[in-house]
Amino acid sequence: MAFNNLAENAERLSRRIQESFQERTRDFTKSGQASYLDANDLDKTVNLSKLLDSTSEREKLDGLKRIIAMISKNRNVSAYFAQVIKNVASPNLEIRKLVYIFLLRYANVEPDLALLSINTFQKDLADSNPLIRAMALRVLSGIPVASIASIVAAAIRKCAADSSPYVRKSAALAIPKCYNLDTTHLPLLMQTLSTLLKDRSPLSIGSVAIAFNAICPDRLELLHPHYRRLCKMVADADEWGQVQLLELLTRYARKMLSRPPDVSAPEELDEANPGQASHEDHELDPDLELLLTSASPLLQSRNPAVVMAVSRTIYSLAPVKERRKFVLPLMRLLHSSKEVERVTLENLRVVAQASPEMLRPHISRLYIRSSDITQVKQVKMRILAALITPDNAQDLLREFKDYVVDTDDKLVSDAVWAIGQCALKAPDVSSSCLSALTMLIRSSNDVAVAAAVLALKSLHQCRTSLTGSLNVVASLASHFDNISHPEARACILWMVGQYARSSGQGTTPMPANLQAIEPWVPDILRKAVKSFKSDPSAVKLQALTLAAKVFVLAPSHEQSCMLARYAFSLARYDLDYDVRDRARFLSSLLAGVNGGVSSGLGSDEQEVDMQEGVILRTPQVIHVLFEGKVAPSDEGRWRSGVLDLGTASLITGVAMQDDYLRQLPDWPDEGTDSSLRDTQDDTPAPFYSQPSLKLQGFGAESIGNFSRPGSTLTTPVVLTPGDSSPSSSVPKPGLAKPHYMDLDKFFASDEEVASEDEEEVTEEELEAEPQTKSTNVATTVAPHPVSVASGGHTSTEGHDAPQPTRESDDEYTDEESDEEDAFLRRG
Amino acid sequence: MDGLIILDGSGRPIIQSNFRNHPPSYPLSIVDAFNDALSKTLPENRATRSVDSGDLDPVLYISSTASGPAICCHVEKGGLRFLCPASQDIDPLFIFAFLERFLSVLQEYLQDISLAVLKEHFDVVYQVLEEMLDDGKPLTTESNTLRDIVLPPSFFNKVLSVAGVSGLSNATPAPFSSPIPWRKAGVRHNKNEIYFDITEDLDAIMARNGTLLSSTIWGRIDCNSRLSGIPDLNLSFINSKAFSDPSFHACVRLQKFAQTSSLSFVPPDGNFVLMEYQVSPSAVTRGSTAMSSGGLQNQLLNFVPLILKSKIEVGEKGGSFTFTVTPRSGSEQLKHRLGVENVVLSLGLDSGAIGAFCTASFNSGGQGFGGSRDKEREERAAGVWAWEPNKKTLRWTIPSLGSPSASSTWTLKGTWTSTEQVPRPCRSIMMHFQTPHMLFSGIKVDQLRMTSEMYKPFKGVKIASKAAVEWRW
Repeated sequence: MAFNNLAENAERLSRRIQESFQERTRDFTKSGQASYLDANDLDKTVNLSKLLDSTSEREKLDGLKRIIAMISKNRNVSAYFAQVIKNVASPNLEIRKLVYIFLLRYANVEPDLALLSINTFQKDLADSNPLIRAMALRVLSGIPVASIASIVAAAIRKCAADSSPYVRKSAALAIPKCYNLDTTHLPLLMQTLSTLLKDRSPLSIGSVAIAFNAICPDRLELLHPHYRRLCKMVADADEWGQVQLLELLTRYARKMLSRPPDVSAPEELDEANPGQASHEDHELDPDLELLLTSASPLLQSRNPAVVMAVSRTIYSLAPVKERRKFVLPLMRLLHSSKEVERVTLENLRVVAQASPEMLRPHISRLYIRSSDITQVKQVKMRILAALITPDNAQDLLREFKDYVVDTDDKLVSDAVWAIGQCALKAPDVSSSCLSALTMLIRSSNDVAVAAAVLALKSLHQCRTSLTGSLNVVASLASHFDNISHPEARACILWMVGQYARSSGQGTTPMPANLQAIEPWVPDILRKAVKSFKSDPSAVKLQALTLAAKVFVLAPSHEQSCMLARYAFSLARYDLDYDVRDRARFLSSLLAGVNGGVSSGLGSDEQEVDMQEGVILRTPQVIHVLFEGKVAPSDEGRWRSGVLDLGTASLITGVAMQDDYLRQLPDWPDEGTDSSLRDTQDDTPAPFYSQPSLKLQGFGAESIGNFSRPGSTLTTPVVLTPGDSSPSSSVPKPGLAKPHYMDLDKFFASDEEVASEDEEEVTEEELEAEPQTKSTNVATTVAPHPVSVASGGHTSTEGHDAPQPTRESDDEYTDEESDEEDAFLRRG
Repeated sequence: MDGLIILDGSGRPIIQSNFRNHPPSYPLSIVDAFNDALSKTLPENRATRSVDSGDLDPVLYISSTASGPAICCHVEKGGLRFLCPASQDIDPLFIFAFLERFLSVLQEYLQDISLAVLKEHFDVVYQVLEEMLDDGKPLTTESNTLRDIVLPPSFFNKVLSVAGVSGLSNATPAPFSSPIPWRKAGVRHNKNEIYFDITEDLDAIMARNGTLLSSTIWGRIDCNSRLSGIPDLNLSFINSKAFSDPSFHACVRLQKFAQTSSLSFVPPDGNFVLMEYQVSPSAVTRGSTAMSSGGLQNQLLNFVPLILKSKIEVGEKGGSFTFTVTPRSGSEQLKHRLGVENVVLSLGLDSGAIGAFCTASFNSGGQGFGGSRDKEREERAAGVWAWEPNKKTLRWTIPSLGSPSASSTWTLKGTWTSTEQVPRPCRSIMMHFQTPHMLFSGIKVDQLRMTSEMYKPFKGVKIASKAAVEWRW
């Protein structure tokens, strides 16, 4: 057959060359395929019809290439539909393929004409060449015309029983396409799928997993009789199939197998009797062990997606003590490309936050290079921060100090924050952390200064017992003039106000009317008032807060009170309504203290209104102003929540459509009976699709065998309980595929929560502590006054939009040595 | 994965796969969102959409497309952008792995990936894409199998197509007849040969005081196989204990490696990556005495044949710097007189940097050159420096170290100017160098045995190592 073909073609070839060699040689010199894409459209359309209708294959091919080129340029070429489709049965494979490409794109434009080609495909399904059969099925199932769905379903069924694994693979891949076309064919498709599940060829099994995930992800009970065989086949499937299969099997294990002994259920932690906590069965479920042992060798795959899939399997299924083994392979991925590095690090971050001890031994490999891309720097920083312990704090502190001079401002502020974390987590180094932070206040980089002030503030709040705590505030305050970053200024003002109360040890004799506050506080207020006009709103708000606090603490200090009154009168006519609102609120709060801040400003209508409200006494005002300032939790600094490895939402921080499909269910209370998974053919049988016996033992084919000696052969067939037996595999249509969550609904519900949060904010929290950059931006930009109060509470878990920064140098050298081959050793 | 879009240098789509399940506006909105994100990361003064886009997140989140929110993974190659959007949750690594494979297949088909080449062979690209990606699922990605289905463009095929005959119909064996997925059946070569390229990369960070903060050594074995039939190979190594955490091409029998540390495989035809590994630091110590961990660090330090001393002073609107490079006397390369080549030092200056001026000099340490010809030699030995305004990087290249004496010094002295009041140059200096004919790990190929075929193949092994050392200052 092949020989005939060859002979025939050779003959044709020589004939054609003889006929018109001279004429056609110019095609070489022109070599003009690129011109198809570049050429002007006008002269093309003129001869296109002629080319397509030509009897010469060369001209047809030429015409089709031009058509494809036009598709590429987004031209509408549906006018040629009929002419192109005519060629669908061409004996020339290349022409056919181009026709297929065209057909798949334009079938929905001309469904009637597309139907004309279907006969050809049905004929092709019986072709002797598996390539033709598979291609016919692929194109047939790809035609997006709903009326042919039943034909497609029948074709898939036929191909599912094909002798070539490649055709069966195409059949599996066609199942989701047909399902999307018309969901009513689900019963037939499920039937086909269960036939395919029995497939023993590693080539097609991965696609079967894809089909399963696409049309009936929740019908895991169908897998009972196949589970063990699938586990053993994982290593031999093609790499993309391995990913899909592992995903499916992991979900199955999570739903059907019993929990590993040392992974405790969440509710068990609360159990009162710890003596009883030990499990009755210390054994790892053998079926679970089978999956883990068959998956583990794939950690050595060259494909990063496979490595990640195995890691995900191990991370979510293995007993705690065995989880460690995926860490090194994952780290290997860091070396492959910057894109892979960025995604892998995000996954390592999850590991670092959940079980930091797994990463600590490799911490030096996560040090940040100045040539890393921005996102990589950020994630690495988060990982390093999660790994701080008293033991490594010294080293990490040294690292962080190096990062502070990085060119990437985001990294700078993160590093400064992490220095603060060092101080919290490792008391030994806290004094050097403090001095490092204080040094940074004098830095020439605004970002570093602001971050240092914020870090000092949260340190101060978290550890009020910090020695010399007040000195920190005082030294910060003394730098107030030199600091220009608005956030830092606002923060200092807040701290000065919050800690203005005298520490009580009157070292120097003070005027009686100043005893309640630190002596330097009024001076800061003076500076704040002085620069009030030129400060941005965020600073103004804090200046007002400071004024109110000083006013209530030292009512008898004439100058301070005058400064405060002056600040309020400035704020009253400020351009920003947030500032005006804040001033109005604070002045009514202070109405009962020392005649109020607004006294002497002349009464207007507002004051008349105020007279009717409740007037607080001084201690109450102090309570409102000073109490309830919880130290900020740093959890919110970096979003977390998504804790599943290998998902897109992990990277983007936003839930994707259908992501519930990839979320793993929690372990069941009790695994399903293992006899469900017993089958006749647990004994390994030779693959009929792999005739070459000599070549067995490739990849990890035989890995599964040594893991559980004996367990494979012994058990006889056990009849399965009726409910979940595979014979009941035809589901009720509609039930099999769960409902998608409407995304709009999802976001709507999210917003509700958010707005509730905002309403919950009481007046007491009104003077929001300046906390993070995003908070204050929100404060100043927010269009309605409510969000003033919500600062620091709601917006921190917002989306960390990637921030463009200036660091642009990517020292990614790709030096392919192009020197001549200098072989040291020749065989 | 929803499909694949290839953009040219100016952000216009030139080739895209069929987005069957999505409205036609979907790919357009992806392209728009991508171009938008890209333009945000580029400084305004850079006129061209440069290849370098270090700031663009490789995984973009696009909140509104015609099919709801989507992610878009993208890579860059040859001035082109390859985008892969996905509107459902999928591991981004899956997408990147596919893109990587697609690019390597394309590379193999077209030799070079660039706008011109893609335009020249767009029909091949379409066919390859169609075979590799079926409705968003990877289909056939092994290049050996693909070559049976889609013919690579070659002069011979051009002859055939000019004559109006498709080469496909006379492809000798029927596709998919090979029992081994990665190797096509019936391979015949006139000359049977196989080549192995072993390269190792040292990645290190030097602290200010010259100690090693972090170091890893990665190795990889590339293979080019031109063997007929179905050769069954067994490749064994000397010092194979240095392999740690290896990864293999699918053809390698894992169990065999676990038992004997040798690679037993039936290779695919053509170029492929046989193995990648990390070098375990403990295996590197060549001295016979057991080393403490500090000693281990020193041992690794000996792979860096140079010591860099740098002095950078930042002033107003600019600064000055002095780099001094001296040989490390105990280093492996100098001890064994191995040539160290292409030493490149680069320092990223601040984003406002306008220009730099420096002088490079070389002091051979007493031997001294004389005469005008020697002056030339001296200049060559001192290396050349260059200012790269696009990347704001200063680059100093010393083509070859020659055979330096202990007191040889290379110096680069200079100043730079900047528009920024207080410039912030990069906090470290990158040093790259190559040592051909040496592997850090000391791994050597012991022997290659072939069973199952009768002929004697020609075997070749090439080794080389590279290093990228970050010096903090």
